[in-house]
Amino acid sequence: MPQQFFYDNQIRRFLLQFIRAFSNFQVEFGKDREGNTTLQTVPVKYGDATRLVSSLLRDNSENKIVPTPMISCYINALEYTADRRQDPTFVDKRHIRMRKFDQDSGEYTTQQGNAFTVERLMPVPYNLTLNVDIWTSNTTQKLQLLEQILVLFNPSLEIQSTDNYLDWGSLSYIELTGTTWSSRAVPVGADEQIDISTLIFNVPIWISPPSKVKKLGVVNKIIASIFDESGDLADGVIDQDILMGTRMKFAPMNYGILLLGNTLTILEIQESVTNKVEPTSIENDPPVKIGVDDITWRAVINQYGELQAGISQIRLDFGAGEIVGTVAHHPSDDTKLLFTVDGDTIPTNDLPPVLKVINPLKVGPDAGLPTSATGQRYLILKGIGDSSNTDGPDAWKDTAGNDFTASPNDIIQYDGIRWNVAFDSSTDSGIHYATNTNTGIQYKWTGETWVKSYEGEYKAGDWQLVI
Amino acid sequence: MPRISMWKEGTHSNDFKFFDRNIKEQFTVGGTGIHVHKYLGILNQGTSTDLSQPQAAEDDPLAIQDFLFLENRDRKYDQDVYNIRGLYNVADTDFDLSQFGLFLQNDTLFITFHLADMASILGRSLMSGDVLELPHLKDYNSLDTSLEVALKRYYVVQEGTRPTEGYSPTWWPHLWRVKCTPLVDSQEYQDILNKIQIDENTGESTGSTLRDLLSTYSKELEITKKVVEQAEVEVPKSGYDTSKFYVVPADSTGKPMDPLGYTADDSNQTSDSTLITADSTRISPENSNAYSGYLVGDGLAPNGEAVSMGTSFPTDAVEGDYVLRMDFLPNRLFRFSGTRFVKVEDNVRSNPTPGKSTSLSSGFINNTATTTQDDNTVISQRQALSKALEIQEDE
Repeated sequence: MPQQFFYDNQIRRFLLQFIRAFSNFQVEFGKDREGNTTLQTVPVKYGDATRLVSSLLRDNSENKIVPTPMISCYINALEYTADRRQDPTFVDKRHIRMRKFDQDSGEYTTQQGNAFTVERLMPVPYNLTLNVDIWTSNTTQKLQLLEQILVLFNPSLEIQSTDNYLDWGSLSYIELTGTTWSSRAVPVGADEQIDISTLIFNVPIWISPPSKVKKLGVVNKIIASIFDESGDLADGVIDQDILMGTRMKFAPMNYGILLLGNTLTILEIQESVTNKVEPTSIENDPPVKIGVDDITWRAVINQYGELQAGISQIRLDFGAGEIVGTVAHHPSDDTKLLFTVDGDTIPTNDLPPVLKVINPLKVGPDAGLPTSATGQRYLILKGIGDSSNTDGPDAWKDTAGNDFTASPNDIIQYDGIRWNVAFDSSTDSGIHYATNTNTGIQYKWTGETWVKSYEGEYKAGDWQLVI
Repeated sequence: MPRISMWKEGTHSNDFKFFDRNIKEQFTVGGTGIHVHKYLGILNQGTSTDLSQPQAAEDDPLAIQDFLFLENRDRKYDQDVYNIRGLYNVADTDFDLSQFGLFLQNDTLFITFHLADMASILGRSLMSGDVLELPHLKDYNSLDTSLEVALKRYYVVQEGTRPTEGYSPTWWPHLWRVKCTPLVDSQEYQDILNKIQIDENTGESTGSTLRDLLSTYSKELEITKKVVEQAEVEVPKSGYDTSKFYVVPADSTGKPMDPLGYTADDSNQTSDSTLITADSTRISPENSNAYSGYLVGDGLAPNGEAVSMGTSFPTDAVEGDYVLRMDFLPNRLFRFSGTRFVKVEDNVRSNPTPGKSTSLSSGFINNTATTTQDDNTVISQRQALSKALEIQEDE
């Protein structure tokens, strides 16, 4: 495969600007028959023209005449400059956010558009030697032009090949390094009408390879130290699980978030939520943010770019894995973000789903619940009966009238004849997941209590924003 | 019987006249007609205080315009055109590109004239500075078909001498040879080149000067214009354009600010939007130096926020308002913080094209300002250092 072609007119653009620097100069002619003086603008052009174009300028006629004064510029030499060489492998990164461009008006708006990271490889230094020929028909003209030109170089004149903020090789200067006063011999010969004075300039330039333009990346984890105390490469570099000590996690602005249902709220570092012990406990009221300073999601996301509704993601690190969901701005509350979880990323249920989460002291079969049927499963918040009871609650008795007992947090299931404890919370201390089919909420058994599996508070570092 | 001698002690003998008439006849029979634009002297340049460039007498071919550089730049030519016969060897010519930017012909003509004939027509010999037009070299086939007339061929006399072949046995010269090079469009020949040309076929004015027809000046200027236009597109101003970049709004503590403020001009907001409250205002970023660097100040507020311009601060400014003070040089942009106007940047970018720049040096060179003195007389502010404060003519 051949190397990919690239050409960015880099030297051509310097030449354009170089010629520009010598444009717009004038010479003054003496008085004509009417007593008027004339200021004539001096043309400037690139000197190394082809014969064809030169012929076209003369209308392919011998009889056309060339004007004086005139200035022509051309490259005398292009040389590599070793003393300006810097680390050839250095790559510089610039993070740039663009204003949004309105295609209709053709103008940039006041809102944020795309954001980029631009990587630039160290450019290569060259010295461009340029000659400027000043053609004049008399000495006065020559002095008029030189006086106007020479005051510009004190000590040099800056030029740029582009005004692009990212082009770090665009800035250069024109330094006058020498002059040749006249192309004629002294004394002047008989048949030369045009005198040429040559100014020699040095222009140090840089020639750059193409850059890499990438979507602006968001730093969510920074490896603070890649070596441990013994000087070995820390495990943390390669072991994602080792987070303390050698790794630090960062989240936008050091903010936490609170996920409740399908909404996300920002928590500042000093803010917290109610029900700190177990805010998402199935038995507790929903947690509430404590704090008065509502930060809008728009302000936070704007730090990193523009949110793409339904595409941008929030990733939640809940310890055993990562919950991923797409986000969109809330239509009426800027402090909330709508979160649509990707079902494939939530934990897998290892317990069959339950029909409802119930308080068996308040409801029971045929009393707020359907008639008992085979396969019905409920997660109970309070215990049913007691082994010391002589007559337990009727609703939970089997077809023969025998009592049924169960502990709080148990999952009970009907087998067609009687209710049984399908999940015994008093004996199982492992992690389990089950979904309430009535609400669609997945619950997690922590070994002690049921909590919502991934809702709740995520501290700084436990969540990531992906634009 | 006197001794035979062709030399008659300083007199032009009948022998000389015999030779001369025959030689003249050769020019009449075989010569080509040549139009002569006769150099008369220096155009009146008015009174001069420069003793090395004094005012010359009118129509004095002996006058010297510049006694330092020994050059006559503003030449005056006779409005009448003289027609005399001349002979020369037609030679092949080449165009030369060896000098960068010049496309010159290498043809140097040596044209011979009949001395007495020339003197009787012109009143003098042809001299350096006279301009010759060779009608037989007219070009009727120029590429530019819009030209109404054929392109004439002009040469400039560089020097005139008596050629060796121009002597008869009487030892008197009969010929005058001039060395000619092609005319160039220069200051020296403006008196010829600025003449409006007449269409030889219709006898009507073409409306174009000889310079318009012959010189490539307008095309050269067009070339310069195109190059400079592209250069100005690529670098409209010195420094770097950061106006299309977005600055994330944040307050002085680094806390992010909501980028969406709302004004009555926001057409995409509807009356039932719940995002907008009565105190919703556009929030301008406080951290306006996000894209710092060399020559990035352009006097524009970040993110395209509105800027009011003036020579004083507005009294009704609200937090986030930008003001560009035009009485600062360079113009200075301020942002109102709620309690004070904080400097944001100076407008240091300017067009680098000579004549359009607002740089310091350009302020001295491109200066049309005037100074009113105590006696209410007005003088130009821009004065050459050698002439500053000296008595000058009334303008």
